[in-house]
Amino acid sequence: MANLTAEQVKRLADNFMLMANALGDYRYNNIDSLTDEENIKIKGIHNQQLAQTTELYTKSAILVLEDAQDALKKIDKITAESQELYKKLTNVQSILDRASSVLNLASAILALDVSAVTRSIQELVS
Amino acid sequence: MPQYHVKYVFLFLCCSLLLSSCVNIKHVTEFSKSAIDSIETFETLSSSFNQTCLEDCQNINIAALNIHQTDCDCSQNEEADRITALIYHGLQGYFYALTNISDNQLTNYQTDGLTNAITSGNFGSIQVKEANVKSYSNIITLVGRAFTDGYRRNKIKTYVLNANQPVQDLLHFLDLNLTGNLKGKLEVQKSTLKNYYFDLVRDKKLSTYERTKFAEDYFKRMQEIERQQNELEAYSKILSTIAEGHASLSAEIEHLNDNKLKVALAKYGSQLKMLSTDLFKK
Repeated sequence: MANLTAEQVKRLADNFMLMANALGDYRYNNIDSLTDEENIKIKGIHNQQLAQTTELYTKSAILVLEDAQDALKKIDKITAESQELYKKLTNVQSILDRASSVLNLASAILALDVSAVTRSIQELVS
Repeated sequence: MPQYHVKYVFLFLCCSLLLSSCVNIKHVTEFSKSAIDSIETFETLSSSFNQTCLEDCQNINIAALNIHQTDCDCSQNEEADRITALIYHGLQGYFYALTNISDNQLTNYQTDGLTNAITSGNFGSIQVKEANVKSYSNIITLVGRAFTDGYRRNKIKTYVLNANQPVQDLLHFLDLNLTGNLKGKLEVQKSTLKNYYFDLVRDKKLSTYERTKFAEDYFKRMQEIERQQNELEAYSKILSTIAEGHASLSAEIEHLNDNKLKVALAKYGSQLKMLSTDLFKK
C-alpha cells in the first residue's frame, strides 16, 4: 500500500476530531444519567482520542516535507538563478566604476601628481 | 548605399531596440514587495506546533495535579515548525529575488564617473572633446540599458513561468500546515480544555466562587485560542491572495507592459496591504 500523503493524514485527523467530539458531546449531554465510573471512563477515552488526533495533525505537518520537496528544490534553483542574474547586472555598474578609477589613475600618473596617484589607487582598491 | 542612409538605418535600429527593450516593470517589483511584506507576517504569528505541544503537556500536568518531572517530548512538533519555516523561507527567498531583478534601478547604469574621468583627465597627446565624450556616453548608456533590459525581461519571464507551479504548491503546503494542521491542533486543545473544565464547573463539592472562577478561566482560554485561530485564518487569506497575484502575473507574462496586468497587480498589492493590517489587529 502506498504511503499516506500529508493531505490524507490531515483529513484522517479531521475525522478523528469529529468522532472524539461526538463522544465528548455524548458525555456532556448525558452527564446526569452516567455513573461516576462511566463518566471517568468516557472522559479518559475522550482525552486519549484527542491526544491521538493532535499527533495526527503533527504527523501530517511533517509529511508535508515529502510532498513539498520537489517544489522546494525547483524554487530554490530559480531563486539561485535570479540572484546570479542580479549579481551579473550589478557587476556592469562596478565595471564602469572601476574603468573610471583606472582612467583617473592613468591621468594622475601622466600629470605626475603624486597625491592624485595615491587617491586614485585608494579608489581602486576600496 | 549613401553614407546618410547608413546613419538612418543605424538610428532606426537603435530606436527599435530601445522601444522593444526598455519596459517599465515597476508594477512587478511593487507586487513582489507587497508579497514579501505580507508573507513576512508569518514571523508575528503567536502560535506554533511546539508552543501548542508545550501547552497541551502543561494541561496534562495541571489535570493530574503534578508539578514534578514535567518534561515534555515535543521533538515531533519542533520538526513540524522547522518544516513549515523551510517552506516559508523558500517563498520569501523567491520574492526577494524577484524584487531585486525586476527593480528598474538595476540597469540604470551611471556613466558620469567615466565621462568625467575621460574629459577631465590628462592623457598626454590624446585630445578628448568633452561634447563628443558626453554624446557617446549617453548613447552607450541607452544602448547598454536596452540590451541589459531586454535580457533581464526575458529572464524574468522564464523565471516567473517556471516558478508559478512551485510557488502555488508551496503556498498551498504552507497553508495546509498553518490553517489545516496547526489550526486543527488548536481545535483539539479547545476540546481538551472543555473535557477538563466541564467536571470542575459542575463539581458541587466546590464553592460557587471556585466554580465561577473555573468557568471564567475556561472562557478566557477559549478566547485566546480563538484569537490564534483567527490569526491563522487571516494569514491564509494573505497566502491565497499572493497565489492569485502570482498566477495572474504568470498568465499575462507575455504582456508585461499591458495596463490590464498593471491594474491587476496593483489590486493584489493593495489587498495584501489591507490583509496584513487586518492580521496585526487580531
